[in-house]
Amino acid sequence: MSDTKNRIWVFIEQENGVAHPVSWELLGAAQKLAHDLPDASVEGVLLGQNVRGIADEAFRYGASRVYLIDDPALAYYRNRPYSFGISNVVKKYAPNIFLVGATSLGRDLASSIATRVRTGLTADCTELAIDKEKKILAATRPTFGGNLMATILCKTARPQMTTVRPRVLPTPKPADVPVAGEVISEPLGMTEAEVGTVLLNFIPSEEEESIEYADVVVAGGRGMGSPKGFGLLKELADALGGVVGASRPAVDAGWISYAHQVGQTGKTIRPKLYIAAGISGAIQHRVGVSGSDFILAINNDPNAPIFGIADFGIVGDVFQVVPELTKQIAAGDQPLATSH
Amino acid sequence: MTKLTFDAIVVGAGPAGTSAAITMAKSGLKVILIERGRFAGSKNLFGGVLYTEAIKEVLPDFAKRIPSPPFERPVTEQGYWLLSPDSVVRFMHKSESYKKEPADAYISLRAKFDEWYAAQAVAAGALLITKTTVTDFIKDEKGRVVGVQTDRPEGDVCAPIVVLSEGVNNLLAQKLGLAKMDLPPRLVALSVKEVIGLPQPQIEQRFGLNGVKEGVAIDIFGDATLGLPGTAFIYTGKTSISIGMGLLLEEFVQHNLHPHEVLARFKSHPVVKPLIQGGESLEYGAHLIPEYGYDRMPKLFADGVLVAGDAGGMVDALHREGTNLAMTAGRMAGETAIEAHKQNDFSAKFLREYRRKLDDSFVMKDLKQYRRMTDFLDETPHFMKTYIDFANDAAMRYFNAHGLPKRDMEKGIVKSLGQRRNFMGVAKDMMKLMRGMGI
Amino acid sequence: MADRPIHIVVAIKQVPDTSNVRINPQTGTLIREGVPAILNPYEVHALELAVRLKEQHGGKVTVITMGPPAAVEALRECVEQGADRGILVSDRKFAAADTLATSYVVATAIEAIHKEDPVDLLLFGKQAIDGDTAQVGPGVATRLNVPLITYAVKVEKFDPENRTAIIHRKVERGVEILQTTLPALLTVEKEIAEVQRAPLPNIIRAAQYQPEMWTASAPVAFDVAQIGIKGSPTIVGSAGTPPLKKAGAKVTASEKGVAETVKMALAEVRRVKGEG
Ligand SMILES: Cc1cc2nc3c(=O)[nH]c(=O)nc-3n(C[C@H](O)[C@H](O)[C@H](O)COP(=O)(O)OP(=O)(O)OC[C@H]3O[C@@H](n4cnc5c(N)ncnc54)[C@H](O)[C@@H]3O)c2cc1C
Ligand SMILES: Cc1cc2nc3c(=O)[nH]c(=O)nc-3n(C[C@H](O)[C@H](O)[C@H](O)COP(=O)(O)OP(=O)(O)OC[C@H]3O[C@@H](n4cnc5c(N)ncnc54)[C@H](O)[C@@H]3O)c2cc1C
Ligand SMILES: Nc1ncnc2c1ncn2[C@@H]1O[C@H](COP(=O)(O)O)[C@@H](O)[C@H]1O
Repeated sequence: MSDTKNRIWVFIEQENGVAHPVSWELLGAAQKLAHDLPDASVEGVLLGQNVRGIADEAFRYGASRVYLIDDPALAYYRNRPYSFGISNVVKKYAPNIFLVGATSLGRDLASSIATRVRTGLTADCTELAIDKEKKILAATRPTFGGNLMATILCKTARPQMTTVRPRVLPTPKPADVPVAGEVISEPLGMTEAEVGTVLLNFIPSEEEESIEYADVVVAGGRGMGSPKGFGLLKELADALGGVVGASRPAVDAGWISYAHQVGQTGKTIRPKLYIAAGISGAIQHRVGVSGSDFILAINNDPNAPIFGIADFGIVGDVFQVVPELTKQIAAGDQPLATSH
Repeated sequence: MTKLTFDAIVVGAGPAGTSAAITMAKSGLKVILIERGRFAGSKNLFGGVLYTEAIKEVLPDFAKRIPSPPFERPVTEQGYWLLSPDSVVRFMHKSESYKKEPADAYISLRAKFDEWYAAQAVAAGALLITKTTVTDFIKDEKGRVVGVQTDRPEGDVCAPIVVLSEGVNNLLAQKLGLAKMDLPPRLVALSVKEVIGLPQPQIEQRFGLNGVKEGVAIDIFGDATLGLPGTAFIYTGKTSISIGMGLLLEEFVQHNLHPHEVLARFKSHPVVKPLIQGGESLEYGAHLIPEYGYDRMPKLFADGVLVAGDAGGMVDALHREGTNLAMTAGRMAGETAIEAHKQNDFSAKFLREYRRKLDDSFVMKDLKQYRRMTDFLDETPHFMKTYIDFANDAAMRYFNAHGLPKRDMEKGIVKSLGQRRNFMGVAKDMMKLMRGMGI
Repeated sequence: MADRPIHIVVAIKQVPDTSNVRINPQTGTLIREGVPAILNPYEVHALELAVRLKEQHGGKVTVITMGPPAAVEALRECVEQGADRGILVSDRKFAAADTLATSYVVATAIEAIHKEDPVDLLLFGKQAIDGDTAQVGPGVATRLNVPLITYAVKVEKFDPENRTAIIHRKVERGVEILQTTLPALLTVEKEIAEVQRAPLPNIIRAAQYQPEMWTASAPVAFDVAQIGIKGSPTIVGSAGTPPLKKAGAKVTASEKGVAETVKMALAEVRRVKGEG
């Protein structure tokens, strides 16, 4: 089975037959890592019921092979059958690196796999690289409330596992045409009776506009002063065809719901245009937006750290600047960042 | 449900309360020390000098305790600065005689010291309860205090004697009618303080200190408080500098000043700035200082109750002393409670003994001596600005060789004072000052 | 039939209060001095749930932590909140443990507790705020081979008699309502239980409480190959403060006028986007 030495695995996360885009982001990262590792191959791991079709998508995003466990006990996610099934495949094929999306599903799963196969796991990485000398994975992640970035290595245990949050990495471009790849089917080896948990019901949360994959995010912080201030942001976001984001204090104050929070304990985003209004730019906030293409910051404190990452900074009062932005954009005939 | 019963309840684990708790616990009384902060000292801010004489009377072996008391530096140099807007006259005293073990005074951070001090109370056998606020009293049918209520479920505690050492914001003493509600703004000072972190070598270089066995305490008058009656201070810690200023609350209101702005202005004074430059702000806070003066002090005892420390207005603002008065009063309250237990008499009549002890001690003697200080500053609001600017101006004339004969220079100095205040005015100010100092 | 007394184990961690952590800008290292150690906030809620269930069903709550001697304080805080028994697993040999080694120690200790006094429910925090890894709970569930429910927000039904419970679990798209067998391991969100102020008698008990101290060799002999640095596959290679992206232009609205400044900003967005 040693056709390659260095298998780089990506967990292809799916629910109800729909793949989570973080899977493709990870396949993109895996291909970059493969450049720096000799004799490497990028492969996916896919579990579910009747999900074979998703393997073809994975091939278009760069996987050369997909390990598939298709079983009724995997119809929806539960920790035990998923971690059990994957661990067996890991033991059998001995990948060198295994990347999992840091979604609530992925975080739940990854630690159980790592425990079953007794290997190291680094959570929530923001950067992945191959250490030039040792040829091992260097996974960088924030620690101590985001105040510090630590690079974690897994010296001998294999696979080297990490989870990476959605949107931390760019989405690669898929191939336009179908790409051939190898599907290796594996048995689950666990019956429903052994699982222990049953889903009785699912209550979907009220539809909230997703900030994670929006092209334009207009975010406000404590400087917006009140829910009314967020009204101004909504007007600007509407003019731009974007959505509203927020810093943690704005969420904590109840001016807007948690789903809109950007940053370390909220969402990581990489929109084409990010507008930060009345946000100081604390480190925990910056880590969530640093992947944005263009950052426009508005703050009345010229020394606010947000200006340190802004492509354009306006030192001024949000209550003057934001309405003026809305006005000029509404009046202008040129579209802004949303243009493709 | 069993009733929680102790021999004594102490409210507030500051210097006063902890001293009372140690004193009583050492004699075998079952003491509960109730503190609202997360730990003793967590809510306490203070400029920084502790006097060992008062500690020693409570804990004779304090210096040998393990862990040792968390002092920052001994005070080996101290004095006053008279600050004008662009210059300073310094009266500083530095002496080898300050160097002894233990020293007479130490610069300290209260958050650390209070925690250590309260741990000594626990070691002596007191029960320290934190994160719990005393909200009210339990009284018997005759209206005598026999316990307290706290802000916790099942939170009543009983004891024949309660020591109130709740600090300046003496809500409980007010509840008993011992202290007046709502101190008028002219009887309370508001102090803001910042702790600025700097590497140890930098502190020692900037203040001319030879290692951690040396430390400076400076009290500053004049421009630091915009010439208004108040003081500012700079104390050197091991790896931090405490800097702060205080003014009567009334001055803030009258002149529409914001404490943090006054402090910021002081920090950017050309003489001060280089001392703290490049430092990192570690802590910032505000605190009140009672300035009742001797004549308006709260009543210090009632049936089943003794009041000690700031709660009883025991601060000598002029000499930045408060903790030592608090400790001494706390100890005496403890001693009185022990006596009361022996006699099984907790009546106000018996507890009057506490006031008598205090009157015999430096606590009341000092407070009495400076009884008119607040009045003086109140009546002479221009005092600071006038004389401090004059002192700086005089120094300037004195030290500069302007090609003037010395005689003319001296005349110039006198004239400059005359321009600031006429002769009668100067004479009156001096009279009042002497009265304020109790001379 | 009357409920039999239940036994809940809560795994807790003492963490530096990261909202107070500061970084030395010169060296990029953590300034730990003066940073208070607190009980990890999620566990405060886990414990509250445990105490509520105990009040309903009768029984006992045991708290366990692996940590330095100072973690005694965190256990005391649990006793304040209503825990009956606290165990501190502490030994130099445990130092520098990563999540794999931590989950080994915690799982092994819980097994020992379970032998003495069978456990119905295991409660963990969603994550510890110092590392934010959220790995120890799933790791322990896997080792003990009990069902795992992460991100629990509500216990709808707890039926120790029939060894089953109904738990609400929060995921991105909504809330799953899961039935599980018992014993199970939950990692909890703060919503799981609202924290009530602890009664004074608990505070008094806690002030005098001495938790049990376990070492690496007694009363449980841990496998030295699986603990501390030896049992930890991951190591921290390097640490530093994250770099700032290079800043662009900065214009002061009061100088240029609001309208003009906004015009400049939009022109810049268009220019960069046009290039890209
Ligand atoms: C473990 C941990 C996780 C965290 N996770 C997150 C996270 O996910 N997301 C997050 O955002 N934070 C997070 N934080 C909090 C973070 O440290 C900061 O406290 C927070 O980002 C600050 O929010 P802010 O910028 O809105 O508020 P502030 O820092 O108070 O800034 C408000 C800004 O508004 C400006 N302003 C005020 N009025 C006006 C006006 N009229 N016009 C223009 N400007 C004005 C001020 O100059 C100031 O710069 C986390 C912290 C910790 C410890
Ligand atoms: C800026 C500043 C600088 C100073 N500098 C000096 C100096 O250099 N040297 C000096 O000797 N003195 C100084 N003082 C004065 C000194 O700090 C006080 O006099 C001293 O702290 C008084 O001690 P205390 O025990 O009476 O009160 P506090 O130290 O105020 O302690 C009272 C305690 O009671 C607690 N408490 C209050 N209410 C309740 C309640 N209801 N239930 C439970 N707990 C409660 C509080 O949390 C607190 O811990 C300074 C004061 C200030 C503000
Ligand atoms: N050293 C430890 N001892 C006991 N429980 C722990 C320890 N570390 C983590 N936990 C538990 O595991 C949860 C997740 O921690 P972490 O994986 O570090 O984010 C915490 O909320 C605790 O409930």
